[in-house]
Amino acid sequence: MNKPLLEVQDLRVHFPIGGGLIGKPRAWVRAVDGVSFSVPRGTTFGIVGESGSGKSTTALAVMRLVRHTGGSIRLDDDDIGTLEGDALRQARRRFQMVFQDPYASLNPRKRAGDAVREALDLMAYGEPQARPARVAELFAQCGLRPEQQRLFPHQFSGGQRQRIVLARALAANPELLVCDEPVSALDVAIQAQILNLMQRLQKALGLTYLFISHDLGVIRHMCDQVAVMYLGVIVEQADRESLFARPLHPYTLALWSAAPSFDPAARGRAQRIRLQGDPPSPIDIPPGCRFAGRCPVAQARCHTDAPLLREVLPGHRIACHRVSDNGKPDYELAATIG
Amino acid sequence: MFRRNKAAMLGLILLGLVILTMLLGPSLYPVPAFDISGKPFTGPFEVASLPLGSDYLGRDILAGMVVGGRATLAVGLAAAAITVSIGLTVGALAGYFGGWVDELLSRIAEIFQVMPSLLFAMVLMTLFDPSLTTAIIAIGMVTWTSTARLARAEFMRLRKLDYVNAARAMGAGPVRLMVREILPNAAPPLIVSATLIIGVAILFEAGLSYLGLSDPNVMSWGLMIGSNRKYVLDAWWAVTFPGLAIFLTVLAVSLVGDGLNDALNPRLHQR
Amino acid sequence: MTARDPMPGTSQESPLLEVDGLSVEFQTRDGVARVLESISFSLARGQTLGVVGESGCGKSMTALALMRLIPQPPGRIVAGQMRFEGIDLLGLSDAAMREVRGNRVSMIFQEPMTSLNPVFNVGEQIAEAVRLHQRLDRRAARERAIEMLEAVGIPAARKRVDDYPHQFSGGMRQRVMIAMALACNPSVLIADEPTTALDVTVQAQIFDLISDLRSRTGTAVILITHDMGAIAEMADRVAVMYAGRIVEEGSTADVLANPLHPYTRGLIACAPGRRTAAHGEPLEEISGTVPSLLERGAGCAFADRCREVMPKCRIGLPAETRLAQGKRRVLCWLHADASVPGAGGAS
Repeated sequence: MNKPLLEVQDLRVHFPIGGGLIGKPRAWVRAVDGVSFSVPRGTTFGIVGESGSGKSTTALAVMRLVRHTGGSIRLDDDDIGTLEGDALRQARRRFQMVFQDPYASLNPRKRAGDAVREALDLMAYGEPQARPARVAELFAQCGLRPEQQRLFPHQFSGGQRQRIVLARALAANPELLVCDEPVSALDVAIQAQILNLMQRLQKALGLTYLFISHDLGVIRHMCDQVAVMYLGVIVEQADRESLFARPLHPYTLALWSAAPSFDPAARGRAQRIRLQGDPPSPIDIPPGCRFAGRCPVAQARCHTDAPLLREVLPGHRIACHRVSDNGKPDYELAATIG
Repeated sequence: MFRRNKAAMLGLILLGLVILTMLLGPSLYPVPAFDISGKPFTGPFEVASLPLGSDYLGRDILAGMVVGGRATLAVGLAAAAITVSIGLTVGALAGYFGGWVDELLSRIAEIFQVMPSLLFAMVLMTLFDPSLTTAIIAIGMVTWTSTARLARAEFMRLRKLDYVNAARAMGAGPVRLMVREILPNAAPPLIVSATLIIGVAILFEAGLSYLGLSDPNVMSWGLMIGSNRKYVLDAWWAVTFPGLAIFLTVLAVSLVGDGLNDALNPRLHQR
Repeated sequence: MTARDPMPGTSQESPLLEVDGLSVEFQTRDGVARVLESISFSLARGQTLGVVGESGCGKSMTALALMRLIPQPPGRIVAGQMRFEGIDLLGLSDAAMREVRGNRVSMIFQEPMTSLNPVFNVGEQIAEAVRLHQRLDRRAARERAIEMLEAVGIPAARKRVDDYPHQFSGGMRQRVMIAMALACNPSVLIADEPTTALDVTVQAQIFDLISDLRSRTGTAVILITHDMGAIAEMADRVAVMYAGRIVEEGSTADVLANPLHPYTRGLIACAPGRRTAAHGEPLEEISGTVPSLLERGAGCAFADRCREVMPKCRIGLPAETRLAQGKRRVLCWLHADASVPGAGGAS
């Protein structure tokens, strides 16, 4: 049985608004409000959601780049959520991050080879004499040519920059890679290249991925387990087959049907669940189910009682009043799931 | 790389000339600047012994130019150095840490900002003995706030970028992040600001001398302009030549600053 | 609310917009880049043409060229013709072109955050377009602005007309942009990646909105996107661009069902909705990257990435092949012999 590499329990990240030198904060942004999941070693766990869902903040909190207000983060047996100072610095070798924006993730004044080299220096990986060879090895693994080490970021295309970012993240041989929308800013054809590369690296190096994205198609291809987040909480979570064979939460259905369909017969008049309005902001969270305001099948109860995330089918958890305890939704939503 | 920028090269040459004059001038033209060297109000190019003429006291203008560059440049560079050091440090800390650090530092900067700079400098100069050092400190204290604001804005913007986060994710501490990741990228506007500050400092010193507040025993271009201001209609050369020298020096520094910016910009590298 | 009647002298059947052999060059530090090469297409009244390709292929540049918004140094239109309702757009004076822009041909951009001026409220921005082109007075223009906000689905339009851009969310801002673009009843709307910066559920709303407005007003749309799925849903015809050329064009149904150019096939195989690779299997990929426009030789720019490349592909390009009575075009040696004689085929 695969022991979980990453285990997150009841993670909360709340940002204060107002306050400052004197006085208490006026309000709190509850960006992540009680998120729990575990990721078995060597697998890919996907978190999907839109803006305001808290998925990126979750990633940053796991990476200890943003202070979490509550909950625990465990990597193997180590509680990385409470580490500080030197201990944290040592632990950082085991988990690294791949960012979304290939144009902002590399220091424009550092050459590509230096960026990777500095990762090795910062994390004190191996002997200094051996580091140039390691840089060359990483470049090769990520599909870059050795002479490209001298170039500056602006001389690379978006896809190539993501390769450099991957090389840098893998420098100290981490066990976990947190990937925040790693291919969203890339062209489709390049997306495929980078995703294939990431899969090859996972197999070769035994990596575990925490994969954040808004694109269900990408999630479906890459992930073994998927969690759908909305306004700071997980609303549905299942392993891949179960989620895509039988999506239960109305929000999951809405997301899925929002993607444009290729079926020529559906062209122009795709059956789509139309959500009203925009993803709300996590400042003023209403009582009850957070999705109730936009949910096409919300009932009175949904606006007052917050549903709990519970397991309704093997490995399939959901937070919705309208799904029974044995996984049967009591609503009908017509949608073309492409 | 620097060579390619013609304007910057011009600036460098100009600056080189100024510095050369400053270093070699007094030995090549050893006329003491404060001595009465000839008849007062002699125009330029009239008398061989007074190539650029004389001022209202009969002091040799050229001698003043040659000697005065030293003090002017010293004040300009030193004051700019103080300004940039204070301003950059305060701004970087405020921008990077945010929160109460930012609040505190911003309030302090505001206190300095609202003081009328010339008045404050004048007060300092009269309170303490009016030496060059006092002038340098006074100028530094009133001009650092603009650099601080600039640095704060840049650090605030840059600290959010992913490459800074990536370095943090690798265990880099705040000092390393500020110095090695953010500062090189914050440099361009700061370099431009620094070159402008040199110009401002030089002009400030000229202003203080003009008002008779700087050290009267040290010859500077500002002092020349200041002491001859009553006679500008009778002896335009006594004011114009030092004024021209200030203008060219400030221009040279600006051009060099621009060239430096371009030279440091990796996007312009061809390799 | 209907799209403008055609200018006198043109008929309903002649194409609304005709572009023929358009080529654009850019002067860069390192040489001259040919960003558009012999672009030709036509747009009929009420039709939606999708222009699809990856970044750098020239699709946005085509839109800018149509609006004559290409900065004249360093850019230059070096060849070709553009005819809108029979008028030669390239021959128009600046003043005449300004009459066309925003009025008869409108454009919406990708970034709703930066496309609206933050210091003016949205009512003023919509009204500005109307006052400029239709000479309405302030009150009438404001009414029109409210009417447009309602048409694009902004709730409480009468109140929100005085709000500033920052008070709207991304999706709402894009709706405001659409309102601005359609305020003067243009015959053509150019939408340059209108939903790329938006959330998926908001994207769906915007596409629905464009579809609704399109059927109500009969406006022709040029939809520029990298998303094949959007094309599949919205476009009647599609033009596939690569490195500054149109490599394939035809009706969307045809092109999707039977893509002829290897690049088109690759794009379709990579598209998210169509990823048929089983979990754990690698995705179809197109190896390599788009070549720099400065390094283009005489041959096909796709040659280095093409799985079916032949030696002659690197030497030169064939003339465009026309199939299916000219309704289908492709620029590829693989199909160079397939043109139907008498349909304006390849020479």
